[in-house]
Amino acid sequence: MSSILLQNPQKGLRDRIVRINWILVLLLSLLATAGMTTLYSVAGGDWNPWALKHGIRYGVSLILLLGIGLVSIRFWMKISYPIYFFALAALAAVPLIGVTRLGAQRWLEFGGLQFQPSEVMKIGLVMALARYYHGLRTDQVSHIIYLIPPLIMIGAPVGLVFIQPDLGTGILLGSTGLAIVFVAGLSWRIGFLGAVGALLAGYAAYWFDILKPYQIERILTFMNPERDPLGKGYHLTQSKIAIGSGGVNGKGYLEGTQSQLKFLPELQTDFIFTIFGEEFGFVGALGLLFLYLFIILTAVGVALKAKSHFGRLVTIGVCATFSLYALINTGMVMGLAPVVGVPLPLVSYGGTVMVTIMAGFGLVMSAHIYYDK
Amino acid sequence: MNLNEQDPARQNSFTRRTFLFSAGITTLFGGVALRLAQLQLKEYDHYVELARENQFNRQVISPLRGEIVDRFGKVIATNKKNFRVLLIPERTADVDETLIALSKIIEISDDKRDRIKRQIRRRGVFTPIEIADNLDWETFSKINIEVPYLPGILPEEGRTRDYPLGNGTAFVVGYVGAPTDRDLKAEPTANARNLLRQPGFKVGREGLERRYDEELRGKAGEKLVKVNAHGRVIEELDEGLQKAKQGDRLALTIDSELQMAAMEALGDNSGSAVVMDVKTGEILVLASTPAFDPNNFNVGIDPVLWRDLNADPTKPLVNKPLSGVYPPGSTFKLISAIAAQKSGISPNFRVRCRGSIRFGKNTHRCWKRGGHGTMNMRDAIKNSCDVFFYEVAKQLDIDLLAETARDFGLGQVFEIGIPGQRKGIVPDRAWKKEYFANSPENQQWFAGETLSVIIGQGAVTSTPLQLAVMTARLASGRAVRPTLVRGVGERAVPILEAPLIGVDGDALNVVHDGMNAVVNELGGTARRARLENTETLLAGKTGTSQVASLQRDPKTGRILKNEELPWRLRDHALFVSFAPVDNPRYASVIVVEHGQSGSRAAAPIAKKVMDAVMEKDPALKKPYDPSVLAGLSSASSPSGEGS
Repeated sequence: MSSILLQNPQKGLRDRIVRINWILVLLLSLLATAGMTTLYSVAGGDWNPWALKHGIRYGVSLILLLGIGLVSIRFWMKISYPIYFFALAALAAVPLIGVTRLGAQRWLEFGGLQFQPSEVMKIGLVMALARYYHGLRTDQVSHIIYLIPPLIMIGAPVGLVFIQPDLGTGILLGSTGLAIVFVAGLSWRIGFLGAVGALLAGYAAYWFDILKPYQIERILTFMNPERDPLGKGYHLTQSKIAIGSGGVNGKGYLEGTQSQLKFLPELQTDFIFTIFGEEFGFVGALGLLFLYLFIILTAVGVALKAKSHFGRLVTIGVCATFSLYALINTGMVMGLAPVVGVPLPLVSYGGTVMVTIMAGFGLVMSAHIYYDK
Repeated sequence: MNLNEQDPARQNSFTRRTFLFSAGITTLFGGVALRLAQLQLKEYDHYVELARENQFNRQVISPLRGEIVDRFGKVIATNKKNFRVLLIPERTADVDETLIALSKIIEISDDKRDRIKRQIRRRGVFTPIEIADNLDWETFSKINIEVPYLPGILPEEGRTRDYPLGNGTAFVVGYVGAPTDRDLKAEPTANARNLLRQPGFKVGREGLERRYDEELRGKAGEKLVKVNAHGRVIEELDEGLQKAKQGDRLALTIDSELQMAAMEALGDNSGSAVVMDVKTGEILVLASTPAFDPNNFNVGIDPVLWRDLNADPTKPLVNKPLSGVYPPGSTFKLISAIAAQKSGISPNFRVRCRGSIRFGKNTHRCWKRGGHGTMNMRDAIKNSCDVFFYEVAKQLDIDLLAETARDFGLGQVFEIGIPGQRKGIVPDRAWKKEYFANSPENQQWFAGETLSVIIGQGAVTSTPLQLAVMTARLASGRAVRPTLVRGVGERAVPILEAPLIGVDGDALNVVHDGMNAVVNELGGTARRARLENTETLLAGKTGTSQVASLQRDPKTGRILKNEELPWRLRDHALFVSFAPVDNPRYASVIVVEHGQSGSRAAAPIAKKVMDAVMEKDPALKKPYDPSVLAGLSSASSPSGEGS
């Protein structure tokens, strides 16, 4: 009789709740706890102004994740293209009616409510690409003609984000999109030629001033941080000092001299890994990296088991976004990647990115719950 | 629509690609982990050291500049509290933003901002830069309150140079200023350069401040402090503390009371006053008017004020006693009288003055149109008779006259510690030959020229200091040399008894007698200089030195009187004197630029100055011992403070 349940597993809310991947929830919660702990330290041992709010936001986002996860994956597939086009239209509207914050136009306002179209696009692009490849046969996937629509789907939002200008999000969107195209079955030959072409294009972009001066500045500073000790390079130099001086075991919780003595500004956002590395040392920081990897591999496991191609590709897309966030951020604070303003997901203070990431994992949860058998 | 996978090939491809994807992501995380290991394990020592340097800062403690005191220990130059604001560029997020925020409290002009940014480029981002100083308490408190919102701004209580007597001693001590790049380059050691880079550190720019800069500067200390990223000192550590040592105290021979009296006596005139002890050569007064206020200079002078000072025809920036050169005029007749006696002309040599004599083709006039009648040497000094000396000149060799002038101190620079002295000219045959080196036809000395030189006109020029030395040597008969510094730190500058000048005492007595008559005898040229505060008798000699040749009215051709000429063309007024007549102790020189007449413009000032000198008689009062002074300074002043 159990076969009856298996035939229509999506019908009962109780069954769906039973199927929730609690390991994923636990790992994400661990990460958010690490964030709260660190934010408590950044504030000099105070729940305010960040740690408590971070916890509340995580709680709300977790409800959002479960909500999305309990909705049928069919529904999400159906609204994939609408979400994508809504996000694209909103992105296009930003230069026209957007609000400028911190020198970049990234925000839209609807009746007092502000949101970043680029964040919606992070989910929208993943969904649209997954939806697209869901409808293709194997032989079609490797054909170059069928590569044109996804490239346009990726290129349009990336272009719009670049002109905002938001280099970090542009890189994130582009890389995530390409990751999905790759996993969906891009032919190796086209992939190789594309990579060579991209390198040449990047070279051309450098020579023809396509990047904004501050973007070039950031890349140059990244290559030689001592070049400008007062600019972004100063942050990188100080960040490396803080992490490096943490050593094996760290200086101890709330004892990070570089961080606590305010050698680093804005520690609660982009440079939070720095104080984590300083106070918890190599052991702690490596643990945090493993936590990220566990979450990613858990999600990859979901993708491998998922029965729908849409669900698999969405899961890989979310994994890609999530891992890119973590890799770019940690690489950035240690001088492996340019300082482009990418937060450390679920650890850095900031509501928007948390909602995006948790919504993405909501889709992963949805793909996990619905075997569609 | 069935969502279930119906294409096994597609699923297999996805699975393979997903493994590759996972492997790629894992590799990238591995790369990050390796970087983490590199920073925290391999390069740990390096970063720990950097973190320590971040936290602990070696700070230079600027030494207090040595004080300058007068002969009785009264302060002429000292250091006073100064509220200032520093900027540490390294600690700012953005220098411009910080300066804009600060400009809401204190004014920062575009010029100043440019200067600050230039300094940042030159000195690097770790060196604090002084943005403003001499702030009042209110402004200073405002900045202190706003400091959390002014990253990189450091309000500080420092010290600044202070000259309590203001312009009165400007030309004696000079002034200090911020070190320039050239000063930095001139320093041989990195430590010294580092000290010069300290905010608010000043170096001597002029006068004694410049000459004794090394001694006054002192020795820098060092302390270890714990700072946060804003450069705020959180904790000062006892370990490694090395106190700064204040610079040496400079004790001068100047009597600041008399100095100020002389400044007052000179008043609005453009002129000089020098008073010397004729036995020791100590300079008691070295006054120059008008004078600038050195307190305006140590904070960086206002460009408008600087321009005005430079453009002023009364030259307030020129140290006139040392750098002003004037024909000595009739004061030179004292030298002429000595030279005449040395050449064998008797003091009883008589000349009948009719107001002028002819010599060759030229007529040489006496200042008194009607003539003086019959004069001997003493009376010729008393009346300043030109004709008498013209007659002497006919028998006197110019080289002997020049040699005598040099013996008495003219034509040479005396090292008293103040740079920029002029030498003046004592003309003789050798001088003329050299002067006209390029035109041999002019090299010959003409006897007519001796007639000009003997009354202190022509090529002969001198500084007021040289005239003071001359007067002192005439008064004492000894080759005294002027000194301005009695002691540096604990080191007293020894005063050696000057050798006799090698002139017959009787010859000197004739001059003394004549100078006494100038002031104290009926008909003397400087009766106005008689002292009135004490019984002491003053002996003196007037001088009026011609600035321009005779000027005629362009319409009538009449020779213009001196007072009808524009100020800058009028004659200079001079008066040299010593007192007491019977036992000389003080010599004084007064020069009033364009004062027209020695007896009318200079002699009354000399009288005021010498009245003050004789009333106080500073040579009889016990001056402070420099070694005692040094002890006092280390006991009473808070060394190790500052910066």
